Amino acid sequence: MFIRLQNLSRRFGGVQALRGVSLDLDVGEIHALCGENGAGKSTLIKILCGIVVPDEGSMLVGGVPLAAGDVQARARAGVAVIHQESAAFPDLDAVDNIYVGRELRSRFFGLDRREMERRTRGLLERLGEDFDPRVPLSRRTVAQRQMVALARALSCECRFLIMDEPTAALSRRETETLFRIVGQLRADGVGILYVSHRMEEIYQLADRITVLRDGQFVCTDTPAALPRRMLIQRMVGRDAGERERAPARVEGPGATVLRVRGLTGERFRDVTLDIREGEIVGLAGLVGAGRSEVARAIFGVDPWLAGGVEVAGMPLWPGDVQAAIRAGVALVPEDRQHEGLVLAMTIGENITLAILDTLVSGPFLAGAPEDAAAREMIRQLGIKAPGPGLPAHALSGGNQQKVVLAKWLAARPRVLILDEPTKGVDVGAKAEVYRLVRELAAKGMGVLMISSDLPEVLQLSDRILVMSEGRLRGELPGATATQEEVLALALPDAMGVGHA
Amino acid sequence: MRRMWEVHRHEFVLAALLAGLLVGAGILDPLFVAGATQLKLSENIWEMAILALPMTLIIITGGIDLSVGSTMALATVAFGLGVKAGVPFWGAAVVALVVAGGAGWANGWLVTRLRVHPLLITLASLAAYRGLAEGLSRGQPVTPLPAMFCRLAGVVSGVPLPALYFAVLVVIAGLFLHRTPHGRFLRAMGYQERAAVFSGIPVARLRTILHAMAGLMAGFAALIYAARRNTANPEAGLGIELDVISAVVVGGTDIMGGSGSMLGTLLGVLLIHEAREFVNWRWSSAELNMVVIGALLIFSVIAHRLLAPRGRG
Amino acid sequence: MRRLMSALLREREAGLVALIGLLTLAAAGRDPSFLSVQNWRDILVNAAPVMVLACGMMPVIVTGEIDISVGSLTGLLAGLLGVMCSTAQWGWNPVPVTLLILAGGAVAGLGTGALVTFARVPSILATLGLLTALRGVMIWVMRGNQIGDFPPAIRWWGTGTILGLPVLVCVAGGVVAGTGWMAVQTPLGRRLFALGSNPDAARLVGLSEWRLKLFVFGWCGFLTAVATLMLVGKLGVVDASVGRGYELLVVTCAVVGGVSIRGGRGRLRGVVLAVLLMVMIKTVLVFLKLGDEATKWERAIQGGFILLAVVLDHLAERRSADAGGHS
Repeated sequence: MFIRLQNLSRRFGGVQALRGVSLDLDVGEIHALCGENGAGKSTLIKILCGIVVPDEGSMLVGGVPLAAGDVQARARAGVAVIHQESAAFPDLDAVDNIYVGRELRSRFFGLDRREMERRTRGLLERLGEDFDPRVPLSRRTVAQRQMVALARALSCECRFLIMDEPTAALSRRETETLFRIVGQLRADGVGILYVSHRMEEIYQLADRITVLRDGQFVCTDTPAALPRRMLIQRMVGRDAGERERAPARVEGPGATVLRVRGLTGERFRDVTLDIREGEIVGLAGLVGAGRSEVARAIFGVDPWLAGGVEVAGMPLWPGDVQAAIRAGVALVPEDRQHEGLVLAMTIGENITLAILDTLVSGPFLAGAPEDAAAREMIRQLGIKAPGPGLPAHALSGGNQQKVVLAKWLAARPRVLILDEPTKGVDVGAKAEVYRLVRELAAKGMGVLMISSDLPEVLQLSDRILVMSEGRLRGELPGATATQEEVLALALPDAMGVGHA
Repeated sequence: MRRMWEVHRHEFVLAALLAGLLVGAGILDPLFVAGATQLKLSENIWEMAILALPMTLIIITGGIDLSVGSTMALATVAFGLGVKAGVPFWGAAVVALVVAGGAGWANGWLVTRLRVHPLLITLASLAAYRGLAEGLSRGQPVTPLPAMFCRLAGVVSGVPLPALYFAVLVVIAGLFLHRTPHGRFLRAMGYQERAAVFSGIPVARLRTILHAMAGLMAGFAALIYAARRNTANPEAGLGIELDVISAVVVGGTDIMGGSGSMLGTLLGVLLIHEAREFVNWRWSSAELNMVVIGALLIFSVIAHRLLAPRGRG
Repeated sequence: MRRLMSALLREREAGLVALIGLLTLAAAGRDPSFLSVQNWRDILVNAAPVMVLACGMMPVIVTGEIDISVGSLTGLLAGLLGVMCSTAQWGWNPVPVTLLILAGGAVAGLGTGALVTFARVPSILATLGLLTALRGVMIWVMRGNQIGDFPPAIRWWGTGTILGLPVLVCVAGGVVAGTGWMAVQTPLGRRLFALGSNPDAARLVGLSEWRLKLFVFGWCGFLTAVATLMLVGKLGVVDASVGRGYELLVVTCAVVGGVSIRGGRGRLRGVVLAVLLMVMIKTVLVFLKLGDEATKWERAIQGGFILLAVVLDHLAERRSADAGGHS
């Protein structure tokens, strides 16, 4: 065994994030780590990286115990980590991003820039990228930044690599490059711990799968012995029924509530779409296809350059959020922690934030109606909290998402735009979000749902619109569309050829 | 009671400190706490107190305004030039307020338009407005001012008129921050500006208005300053921005934005004022004073950290 | 023309050089003696202490912090220097006093750093408190006196020459070269940029936040002491106002020079040019012969330059967002 984790436990405040987990990780194999949000995956990874010190338990690398909380000792022992995309230095160039913290030195105290640059070019070449490594990372795409993170891990000739959701920001082509590299590393005898929410990836890559639930070890098994349905069952502790289709719609669609005509912005062109009352329209596409930008333009957070938007016959102005909200548009943004919620404020304050203007007597806030409104939404959405006075940051991802939903439902919108509504939400809470969205549509709301989770789009949508490179590429009926059809439209032409 | 303590612990501590200071000062020197002394000393508080109100609101939104002192100078000079040109004093006062409000609005406009940290914009206008004031006045004060005007900052039946103005303003500011939807909006902006935008809060408009209000209040403070000294001097408000920010921060407003209270600011202003005046009174030492104020600021931030309930972000 | 414009927008240094060139042309057009060696020597000599302070400030801002107490620390160190050296007071030997002042600056800086890293006081507030408090201590140290009788060994810092070059210019040049090398060519420098660019990521790669921050504040304090020696040597007289307002001038120079106040970005070249520009303004105003009152506008012009820098930053950022960017 290369890495041996023994009996790790860790508490954060009142939450036991990890409870006596032991795990053996070997070199030369890919070990997938699965679990819902809050299962303890990220805590385990942070302990592995040395950012979090466990309350109990130990970590041995090659039989030698490592000091808890010493990041650089891990690097010396040959353990490298690829963090999620946020872990880059946007102002530094690729060379510095790869080498900061363990720079190559020349004589005196100086840096050996030339050698670092040469090696960086080599690494990027190996990853199928050829951009100038001396340009600050802030001018690179998210995928290129991810590749730089991978290059950083490769550069240290590690014996064990931890990958935390490495494909979240990658296109299909880049994902395949990544998988090729990962396979190569395994063949070279490097051990890999792979964390992902994407089932397809896990079954494509993993030699062994370990499941965590509620901070506890559940099982380790080979993919063959742990088919998909069983894996999900282990993760949630019950049968979640992963893929059930929307029940066929009984009543016909209502009047058009959202009419978008020729909408053009900096990252999308000529988008025309209609949404009718009671309809769920899925907006599919690759990350970076321009879907979120369209949503933000409709909602007025970003201005648009040409075209028009009407809500129930009322035209909206570019860049005017207040007018959009008055007309009945609501947006549940993708970045829940920064755009959806004010984490430091209470659940109640978050829920009433968009309707506060109506909860007044004279110029002043009326306390009682506000409290009642918040409590009503907490009850309606089944938010698991003792009351509206709890700060939002104390909630789990799923419950936070429900608070964002509650904020907008309280405003009684006609059009609800959801941007990746189940990103980072665990399987159980996902099902509840789906149920809610269906209920809202049934009550006559028009829903536009952006999602990169194809099964989710297929499961919920009445119609599916597909975007690619800033344009709408086509429309598919929700009842009969398949993943392959959606993907064929979503892939830009140049790439589509190879995957058809 | 327990909840009161949890929510207002900083205010309780400040009130206790203030009381302790006054009692201690009273024991050391009973004359200091006498009404007449306090009334006389209160002359020095009004500019800082008035400017602390908009500053609290701005810092709660995560912003800052370093230019209030320079704006005061600009307004004073505008007033002085007006009086010198023979404009009736109320007309000159209106001009001064408009100039100051405009200067503040320009800050807000630049901050929201260019999306640059207000520290930079107001650092620029700190220099620019002071420079304008010095340039326009050629560094010369205008004195004397109309007697009628100076009486507006005088004392009427034992009550200094600026105290009345301030009382009205602090009540309005307190109600605005703690009892209206907009006060809540300001806190949301301070904690998480993006989320405020995504909730339909007119963030840019509010920010511009706040800076314009800060300018307007600086103009008002400038008029009081001029009336009290019977001179319109381009030196007005030199360095006052640091006193004001210190008072607001001592009052428990988080420099990172989000939390703060008007009551805290009021107590912070009083605490700094009383500490400063007592040191002056007893040791008549400007330097000791500066050390005390600086230390008060640093320790209040540390104390606030220690007292704060755990877990934000 | 368009390419020139976009170069000016993208490269802060190019814009600054252009501005300095314009000012030089304007002043020299009015009075050719502006171009004389003597005049430029004066400008460089005046710029030297500010240059050294800016070299201390830049790393602080790069790590995402700020130190607005440098002016007061300059004052305090100058006061101590005066009290210790003055023959009318303690009259100590200037050599150990010089070393003591340098060490004192570094220790004061480390103290500020400790307030920021260990006591977790935001640097703007910690140094705001020190701005007031240190000035108070300085006035107390001076006891209302003006100190003017400095020994030659101290005056040498401001008036001496090395191979015909003023000591001021040599020291400033050395400090600039050293700081520039540290920032770009050493692991330490790159780590400072990394920390300012993304503190969370810096922790993930095992950088020690407190050590780096202690270093930048200590470095800033040390260079403040160097600048104090230069300034006192040049002025020859110390009173209660020494160093007053320097904090704003130095922060202004850093910002105009293109250092991002959010941390992570900035080049020493730009800062050096910005110092030159800011210091030139007064001389240029004199040479333009607009009358005595014209110099009253100096601060207004400085403020205008900050605004200009900020606007340019904004435009440049928009451009780069148009060009590349992300989804």
